Order: sequence, then C-alpha cells, then structure tokens
Amino acid sequence: MSSDEGLENKKERSYSRRKFLAGSGAVIAADALAACVPANAAPEPSANTSYAASKGYLVYDSRKCAGCVTCMLVCSLVHDGQENLSLARIQIAQSSFGKFPDDIKMAVCRQCMTPVCVQNCPAGACFVDSANGNVRRIDSAKCIGCKTCISACPQQPNRTVWNPIAKKSTKCDLCTDSPYWVEKGGFAGKQACVESCPMHALKLVNVTPDQTETDGYDVNLRNDNWLNLGLVDNMSIVPPSYAKAAAEKPAKTERKP
Amino acid sequence: MTGGYAGSILRVNLTKKAISMLATEQYAEYGGGHGMGSAIFWDLAADQLPFSAFDPRNVVTVMSGPFSGTAVPSAGGRCEVQGLAPQAYPVEWFNRSNFGGRFSTQLKNAGWDGIVLEGAADDPVWINIVNDKATIESAKGIWGLDIYETQEEIWRRVAPGGKMGEWTTLGENYTTQKPAVLCIGPAGENKVRFASLIHDAGNGAGQGGFGAVWGSKKLKAISVLGTGGVPVADPKALMAARLWYRQFQYDVDNPRLPKPPNLFVFSSVSNCPADDQFANKRLPFEPARAQACTSCPKACRQRMSTGMGNELSCADSQWPEGLQGTRKDKEAAGDLVQGYGLNHFEWRVLFAYLNALYKQGVLGPGKKIECDLPMNLYGTPAFIQMLAKKVSLREGIGEILSEGCARTAEAWGRYKEDTDSGLLELPNWGYPAHYEPRTEVEWSYGSILGERDINEHSFNFPFSHMPGTMIRAGLDPVLPVEKLVEVVASKVIPYTGDPLMFDYSEGPTGIYSDHRVKTIAWHRHYTRFWIQSCLFCDWVWPLFITPNSADKMGPTPDGEPRFFNAVTGRNLTFSDGMETGRKIWNLDRSIWILQGRHRDMEVHAGYVYNIPARAAYLPTCEDGKWVYGSKDGRVLNKSKFEEWKTKFYDFEGWNTISGWPKRKTLEDLGLRKVADVLKSKGRLG
Repeated sequence: MSSDEGLENKKERSYSRRKFLAGSGAVIAADALAACVPANAAPEPSANTSYAASKGYLVYDSRKCAGCVTCMLVCSLVHDGQENLSLARIQIAQSSFGKFPDDIKMAVCRQCMTPVCVQNCPAGACFVDSANGNVRRIDSAKCIGCKTCISACPQQPNRTVWNPIAKKSTKCDLCTDSPYWVEKGGFAGKQACVESCPMHALKLVNVTPDQTETDGYDVNLRNDNWLNLGLVDNMSIVPPSYAKAAAEKPAKTERKP
Repeated sequence: MTGGYAGSILRVNLTKKAISMLATEQYAEYGGGHGMGSAIFWDLAADQLPFSAFDPRNVVTVMSGPFSGTAVPSAGGRCEVQGLAPQAYPVEWFNRSNFGGRFSTQLKNAGWDGIVLEGAADDPVWINIVNDKATIESAKGIWGLDIYETQEEIWRRVAPGGKMGEWTTLGENYTTQKPAVLCIGPAGENKVRFASLIHDAGNGAGQGGFGAVWGSKKLKAISVLGTGGVPVADPKALMAARLWYRQFQYDVDNPRLPKPPNLFVFSSVSNCPADDQFANKRLPFEPARAQACTSCPKACRQRMSTGMGNELSCADSQWPEGLQGTRKDKEAAGDLVQGYGLNHFEWRVLFAYLNALYKQGVLGPGKKIECDLPMNLYGTPAFIQMLAKKVSLREGIGEILSEGCARTAEAWGRYKEDTDSGLLELPNWGYPAHYEPRTEVEWSYGSILGERDINEHSFNFPFSHMPGTMIRAGLDPVLPVEKLVEVVASKVIPYTGDPLMFDYSEGPTGIYSDHRVKTIAWHRHYTRFWIQSCLFCDWVWPLFITPNSADKMGPTPDGEPRFFNAVTGRNLTFSDGMETGRKIWNLDRSIWILQGRHRDMEVHAGYVYNIPARAAYLPTCEDGKWVYGSKDGRVLNKSKFEEWKTKFYDFEGWNTISGWPKRKTLEDLGLRKVADVLKSKGRLG
C-alpha cells in the first residue's frame, strides 16, 4: 500500500461502518423506554374524504438547512412560551458524522389534501380551519389526548406532536395561533420559522406541493449568492463569481487540486 | 430564577461513585458558565491549592449559560469547561475552554445547568444523563475507541433502536434528537497534555488539555439527552430581539457585501456562513452543507458529501492543507487527529517543530535528538498516521511529544533557545502563537495576564481581520479608520469616548499607554461575563461593526443585555455585566495566585521582544491622523511593557510589585472571603 492510500482507506473503512450504523439505529430510545411513537393501529377513517385545500404550505430546502434548529426553538417559543425542541411542530434531525445531503432530515407538516389527522380524530379536535385559510389545526380545548392523530399521521417523524405536560397533541398551524409573538401569523401572515431561518431555507407557498412524493416539499431555494459561498450540491457546478474571476484572472483562481 | 436556567447543577464524585446536585440559585450572581464554574471551583477546591491537574482533587466544571438551548443568536450551544489544566507551561493554571454544538442545549433540555466532576474513578466510566436521571456506567468496550467510535457506541447504548428522523420515546416524552456526547479519544486516555474534549464531529474544548484531565479521572464520556424546555421570562421580547438581530446577519440570498471569490477569511468581515473550512477553498468544489451550532446564524463549518472532514474548521482544517496527497487525504488527516482527540492547534506546531529540527540536522536517526519517525516521509499520510499514533499512545518519541511543545523543548534542552529565536513560537504560557503577539496586543497582553491563549476572536476582527482582509484583496475596509475607532469607542461601556484605546502605534497614545490599559481591562471583563459566562460565541460577539447592516453598526452593546433580560427577566445593564466580568476576572486571578502566580511570571517568550513581527494592518494614530498602518517588523519593548503592566495592575487595584489583588479591590467586588483566604496564605496584595 502506498503511503497516500493509507489514510484514505482507513477513513473509508471508518465511514463504511458509520453508514452501517446510520441505517441500523444510530438514534435513540433509552433501554428503559419503549420504541418509537405510537404503534397503535390506525383507526377507521371517517366518511369525509374531501377537504378544502389549505391556502398555505411550508416548503423547505434541506440542502440549505444548517441544522441550527432555530426554527424549532422559535416554534416552541411563539406557541408555548418556552424553548423546547420536543414541542416544536417542525423537526430537524441530523447526524454530525453523516454525508451531505443525507446528514439532515427536515420535517414540516404537509397540510395534507386529505388530512388523516382530521379524518381520524374521534373528538373533532383536529379540524380544517376555514376561517384561517383551511389550515389543519388542533383545538386543544377539544383534544382528549388519545394520540390518534399522531399514530394516524403517515409521515416519519409524525408531524403531529405530543405535549406531555398538557397531555394533548399539537401541530403546525402556520402560526395562526402564536400567543407569544406580536406578529400576525397564519397563511396570510408570517411564520416564526420562516422569519427566523438564517439560511432562508423555509418558505410559505400557496400552491399545493406534490403530495405523492415524499420529498415534494423539499425544493431548491438557492441562488447565485448561495453558490458563491462555495456551497454547491454538485461537483460540476462552478459558482458564478468564481467562474467570472477565473475567466478574468485564470492564474489566480485555477488552483491545483 | 424566572428564565434561562434549569435550576440544578449535577455533581458527580467519581471516586465515591456518588451523584448529588447543587442549586444553581446560589451562584446566580455570576450569570452562568464561567462565572459559576470559577465560584464552584473556589468553593470545592481552592483552599487545597496548589496541586496537579491530574490530582483527583481537581474539580472540572462543564457549564451551560442562560442562553443555552434558546434562540439567542450564536449563543444557544456554547459550553464552558474549567479546572486545573495540564497544557499551560510552566504552571498548570486553573484554566478554561469552550466548545459549541448542542451539548449545552441538551444539558438544559435534560434539566441541568452544569456538571461538576470530582475525584477519579478506579476503572474507566462514562456518565449517562437522560433527563433527570444520571448514572455512572462502565466504559468497558468504549475505552480505547476514537472519538467517532465512542460517540457511535454511546448513541447505540443510549438509543438501541430507531432511525434518524423518527421520534424516540422516553416515557411520556419524545425527541428526534441524538444524545449529545462529550468524550475523549486515546490521547486523553493517555493523558497527552494537549488532548481535547470532543463533541459531535467538530466541537472541541481543546485548549488546556482537559481531555488529559478526564483521562486521569478515567472518565471517557458524558452523554446527555433531554426532552424538557428552557423557561424564558419574556418570550415575546426574545422573539422580537431575534428578528431585530436579522439586520446584522449575512443575508445568504441578498447580501449587502457579497463574498468575493477567493477571499477565504471573509467570515471575519461579514460572518458569512461556511467560510472557515479548508475543503471548499479551491476548485472543483465538493458538495457541502453550511453547518451551525444551536441557534447560530453564522454556520461557520461544513459537512461534506464524503462525510470526511465534517465540521473541521479554522486550524483543524488549515494544517492539513500543506500535506501531500489528495483533498481526501487531507480531510482524512484532519479526521485522524480529531479521532485521537488531539488538539489540532498544538499538534500543527509540534508537527512543524519536528521538521524544523530535522532540517537543522538536530533530530533524526543518529542525531542529537534520536527520533524513531521516518522523517523522509514528513508530510505524507503515512507519516501523519505514525506520528498521531505515537503521540496519542505515548509510543517511542511520542512519550515526550505527548507532553506538548513547551515541555518537549524543555526536555530536549531547547526551550529558551527556540522560544528566543522564534523557531518555536510559544508567546504565552507555552501555548502556540495565535494572533500576532507583537502587533495585536490585546491578544498577547490578555493571554499573559490570564492563563492561556485567549482565543477571543471577534474583538480583534474590526481592527485586524476586517481591514487586513479587505486591503489585501484590493477592497475598501468596511469603515474608514477614523470612523471605526470613533464607533467602537462609543460602544465600549464603561470606558466610552476614547478612540485612542484603539491606537496600535508605539507612540505616547499607543500600545504602552493608559489608553491601552482601558482596552485590555474592557476586553478581559467583557469576555469573562458576556462571552464565557453568558456564552455568546466569541466567533461572533462582540459585534461592533458589520457590512451587513445599513449603517454598518453592529448590535454591541445593545444586543447583549437585550437578550439577557428577555431570557432571564432580570434588568441587567451592559455595564452591570462588565462589573460582574471584573469580579470573575479577579476571582480567577486569586485562584492563580494560590497556584503561585506573581507579576514576575507574566512575561512573554523571548522572541516577542527580539524577533520582528509579520505585517498586519491596524488602526494607528500618527501625529493626530488615523491610518490603517502596517506593523511589519515590530518587536515589543520589554521595559515599556513592564511599565505598562504597572499601570494596568494599578488600574485593576492590584499590588504593582506582586500583581496580587488588594483587599479593598476584592471586598468592593463582594469577594471578602477570597481576600481572607489570600491573606491567610500571605498572598494579598
């Protein structure tokens, strides 16, 4: 083995192992504790299978996300008056040792065309808020804490979130009811996560994303200024300002690899 | 304590395998982080000083701050480590180190403001914290692993099931987050004096050598996972403050000053993301993510498509650039050193020192310094592998190299010669040179008056990095020099209104003047409270000026108390915080004095006074006119520095002969019991 091969091979072996781990359970569940959230059998859906579409959707760019979890922190802040990652209605999971772009998974409520959380709620607490752009919401006063909406949500992680203190479910309401924020939220207003994301990796849109794709909400929000930071997602891309500089002064920018 | 604190500090006695708690309330006056850590160390250990960093009596604190786990920008994930530390030379001063990531976030979520480590275990252990439950567990099967393997194994033990991005159940609670692990590698286990504590891929408490202290305590790691919240006194005010702060951030979509191509330290000008890692400084670019600590808009690191070199930044990624081989080889070399748990900053100097001695014909097979390394392979991956292993496991020449640069040079009888000549640039307490000690004097003065290379970046950004970077790139500095010093002078409460505090000349108003006394005092007091106790990141705060805002003004000094009061519900002024910083600074100094500190010891290495400096552009007042002047060729004048020290000691209320605080100084700060102890030891100024 040449000396040059040595280090790289060691790292490759190491990373092969990490890849295996990532797929075999790198994350969580204390041994005293049960497995992942509710494995309850999904209840029978209600008769209603037609719902008015939401007038607002959160989309995101998972390649732009920096994993700072500011979106999670402000979500619980404006809704619950505290900083609590577990109460956040948007979830960012990440692996520090992972390979970009698979090192981060962003999870936002999809405001589903057919909202199974609404469809299956036995208490009528989960509802389509026709007064606020048809956003899918949970009325905490009506919630009986049965977690049906959580087990029914087809997404992983479940987009409906359990509040263990209140013993009720919550979910993203596009900040329609954000009592700890002075701004007007909702589909026609602002969302705390969108406003505070320093990477501009979240955006509110009013066109329904493709709901048949698991990544239909994961969109490209990058522009040339982003590329000029050196944050490409494809090795064939040369950021515009670098290309320009290379054309003007090739000797200074075309470096040896 | 209405907001910002969990209320309890975990206390772990490794000798007795006993777990208890301290009430955070009793240390509330210190704000958090460093201040609390110093006060706890004083209460638990100071009366027994002096003793070695490896003595079981050494107390190590791992503290969060009031902003940990909150959306306060560039403050939600910092964590402060303190205790006696073995890297400093010639005395293992009571020391500090600081790391980012999400460890302090999870600590707060679990319901703890900090961790106090006492004693030493008989056999290797790790500490497992899940919410309010903390246990000391056997490290069998973990001891000996590198920092990546260690964390993976602990993730598996804490969390045997589940997949990334799915909820994990903890009783009635849920989380999607991984346990946050702070650990040592083989270097720490073998008490290498520059062994780090590492968390995730790229967060290291490097300076001090706390990894070696953990090794002496046979503590491999601490894991913490929490599902609770951090109380916030005024959520509306915090949210408003966070959105107010956006004007100071680099707008990644539409920056006022876009990043110029090939300008690689632009983050120190604009706080732009992902600018501090070596990988994407050259074409072709590797797909990468900007990666941030909790709540940080700067996102200074990167995660790569190869998963190699993840989160390595600044020195971690700079030294491998000079290696032979491919970019992957260089990333692998960074990961290798990180994996062993070595501090890259000391490592890179040791690495270069070996080569310098080899080239001089002093070191090598059959030479005066016998060396069992193939020096003809220097700079190759094979050499890096051998050297890192020998140092981390104390094999062969690694036995002496593991003592660090200063003690290695001393053992070879070369310390004075090589630090006088500058072959070995260790300007302060044996720590490798960082910013230029002869020109950026807040760095060297602050370090020698303290305990380590200060590593407090953002203060010097507007004076050195910002103009230097822009001028060298042929661009205009963010502000004209007259405006810069005027603006910063207006912000340095309580010493406002004196632009000459930032005159880097050697003239009557320059680096040896009364003006500079105030500069150094401000910097020492500011960082002790706002940076190291509240735990704003020093890579961002203080932020005096920025090209990102319309008027080029930064948030300091309005932002610090605005965030503090929103989170805690207190009514603290910026000046109040500075006074608490002064108190902490004096408490730390009192601990050093119990370790033997005296004025006579606070002297830079010889080269600082003898060998000319490299160029730096710094504000200079020449005949009443301000310029960004080059300081190429400067040496510090030793006698003038000693005269300046006298002025500084007097300003701080310390005895000018000994450098020890006076009783009145300590009592005015509410440190009467500290004065009594110093008096009893015959060390009151």
